[in-house]
Amino acid sequence: MNKIFLIIKREYLTRVRKRTFIISTILFPLLYLLLIFGTGYIAEKSRPDLKVALIDRSGLMREGLVNKANMQDSSCTLNLIKNNTENVIARFDSMGYDAYVVIPENTDWRKGVDSLLLTSNKTYGIGVTIPIQNKLNRIWDEIKNDSLGIDAPKKLILATSTISLKLNNAKNKEADAGTATVIGYACGFLMYIILLLYGSQVMMGVMEEKTNRIAEVMVSSVKPFQLMMGKIIGIGLVALTQFLIWIGCILLIYVIGKYTGNNTGMMAGAVLQIQKAFSSVNLPLVVGCFIFYMLAGFFFYSSLYGAIGSAINEDMREAQSLSFPITMLIIFSIALMSSAISNPGSPVAVWASIIPFSSPIVMMARIPFGVPNTVPWWQLVLSMASLMVGFIFTTWFAGRIYRTGILMYGKKPSWKEMIKWAFRK
Amino acid sequence: MNILELNNLKKYFATQKAVDDISMQVPRGSIFGLLGPNGAGKTTLIRMITGIFYPDAGEIFLKGKKFDPENDFRYIGYMPEERGLYKKMKIGEQALYLARLKGLSKADAMEKIKAWFKRFEMESWWNKKVEDLSKGMGQKLQFVITVLHEPDLIILDEPFSGLDPVNSNLIKDEIYRLAQNGTTIIFSTHRMEQVEEICDKIVLVNKGKKILDGSVAEIKQDFKENLFSIHLEKIPETINNNSFEVVKTNLNELVVKIKEDSKPNDVLGYFINQGASIVSFKEMLPSLNDIFIRLVEGTPSARQFEEIRS
Repeated sequence: MNKIFLIIKREYLTRVRKRTFIISTILFPLLYLLLIFGTGYIAEKSRPDLKVALIDRSGLMREGLVNKANMQDSSCTLNLIKNNTENVIARFDSMGYDAYVVIPENTDWRKGVDSLLLTSNKTYGIGVTIPIQNKLNRIWDEIKNDSLGIDAPKKLILATSTISLKLNNAKNKEADAGTATVIGYACGFLMYIILLLYGSQVMMGVMEEKTNRIAEVMVSSVKPFQLMMGKIIGIGLVALTQFLIWIGCILLIYVIGKYTGNNTGMMAGAVLQIQKAFSSVNLPLVVGCFIFYMLAGFFFYSSLYGAIGSAINEDMREAQSLSFPITMLIIFSIALMSSAISNPGSPVAVWASIIPFSSPIVMMARIPFGVPNTVPWWQLVLSMASLMVGFIFTTWFAGRIYRTGILMYGKKPSWKEMIKWAFRK
Repeated sequence: MNILELNNLKKYFATQKAVDDISMQVPRGSIFGLLGPNGAGKTTLIRMITGIFYPDAGEIFLKGKKFDPENDFRYIGYMPEERGLYKKMKIGEQALYLARLKGLSKADAMEKIKAWFKRFEMESWWNKKVEDLSKGMGQKLQFVITVLHEPDLIILDEPFSGLDPVNSNLIKDEIYRLAQNGTTIIFSTHRMEQVEEICDKIVLVNKGKKILDGSVAEIKQDFKENLFSIHLEKIPETINNNSFEVVKTNLNELVVKIKEDSKPNDVLGYFINQGASIVSFKEMLPSLNDIFIRLVEGTPSARQFEEIRS
């Protein structure tokens, strides 16, 4: 036991002392935020603002209405054209228009137009055509209102008097699906990144021992299983340390923001967000479960990665081809997570959060929706228990492969051979 | 007393009988040579002695008791042929780590490392990394790490490969010193001149089987061909005697093979009677290299894969 402790200590300290650990601890949250907000920002910025020629043959459109609509919404620009229409249709491209729409003659304001054609020389996505449709409908509403003789006060009533839905869970008054979705996604993706990142670190570590030929020196004083477990636990603790630093930083921002009374700017926004998360989601439970699933999921996957690291030689390509099935399991879990978040109570979500390989990611996406309402206690307990059984099996299995692989040089074994190593006496 | 005894050890792999029924005894305090051509099964044998592999059959006794890898690892120091250390780790920390894995306490390990580093003039290396060392320096470090925990049995696989003559001698002297203090050293190699120089006892393995076992002097006696070299001032024109025959004639030297039931005295008597003046007379023993080549010859240079049915 003392020896495994020494190995854990070495694996942990050599990694935590490295400059890359400090840099990645600081940079990772920044990159993570950049990823989330950056992609949204880029999508927003890269959407083309279309200039559309609105060719009106019906005589219903009026310049004033179009201009008003353009003022209210700048996502696209409509130019009303009443004269010289044939010329515009023939040469809209060279006149600076991206597309044109023709409102046909004899259009009845009572019936509207179905499948009006937006003609352009390019193909645009739905994100581009929907704003144009919305703007046309806004103008159309005005035309209908005017034709029906609805005056300004009535218009206001029509515009503001609507019904909007908000989910209310009878058993859990605090539940907020919106916040839960955000936290669920964040947890799922964070788990995904941690599993992949630290899993491959275990694989690289084992490969390093093998290619540096220190494995033989080591296994003459410790058992191969101790060597493997020491590495896995050591790296697992590194992951845990990093996670706790992040949680600590979030709490620090919250506490500082709350008690310094500095309620302006970004700080206040962050405090508000954290407060909102606290009030709508059982955050201590989420963090606790996250730590459990992070460690158990890490053991589950990293032992398999370790087994692969022991079986291959220097070649990174061998590593990639052998680890592909394992990486696929993690990626598949992310696919299941998306469906679980949109409907956290569906059978797919329930089973994916109980079966060990996908449970760390899928269950973490479901837990923010509430325990025991969305996730009953029995599911949580069953999921945790089966994950533990799962990782005990994978570490056993990996240990059997490891002890043969670590001293084996030469040809890359296939998965079939590795399974044979695992099950022989 | 034997520190190590192997009884009928067997280890079969899928395509090879790597070790096929080998028994041997290694006396305490001896320098023991384990010889064999490439692929003879030396490494597999050593891995069983160091507890890395379990034998398929047979028994190992260490210090008179049945070998228990779990606890006996600290009595053994093993330097594999493929040297290996953590490249990115500081040398001092690495030595400390590996010593503690062998069961030394921190203070004890520290003291021993300092002493060895001083002895090998490596004190300035403490904060360097292994990747900064030359190959020879790495070898020295590996040797220190192997013997640091004062094992009773040290197994060295090709310990001199890659070392210059100065460092080779340094290690050789350490091996003698350790042996004098009662440490047993098993020395695996195929470099015969080193074996002849250093080893008391040898075992030769080939194709997984032991084909020779004994002290260096005994073996040389066993394989001698009764060849003698006679240096004369002038070689007589005709040599005719039925107690020996001339095998080779050099300038003033004859190599003669003495027939069975005859003695060296017969040869000397003959030449004295002939009136030839003798400068020197010496028995010619075969070198281990000759014996090795003679025994291993005819074996294909690479082992063939074979089907094993058990």
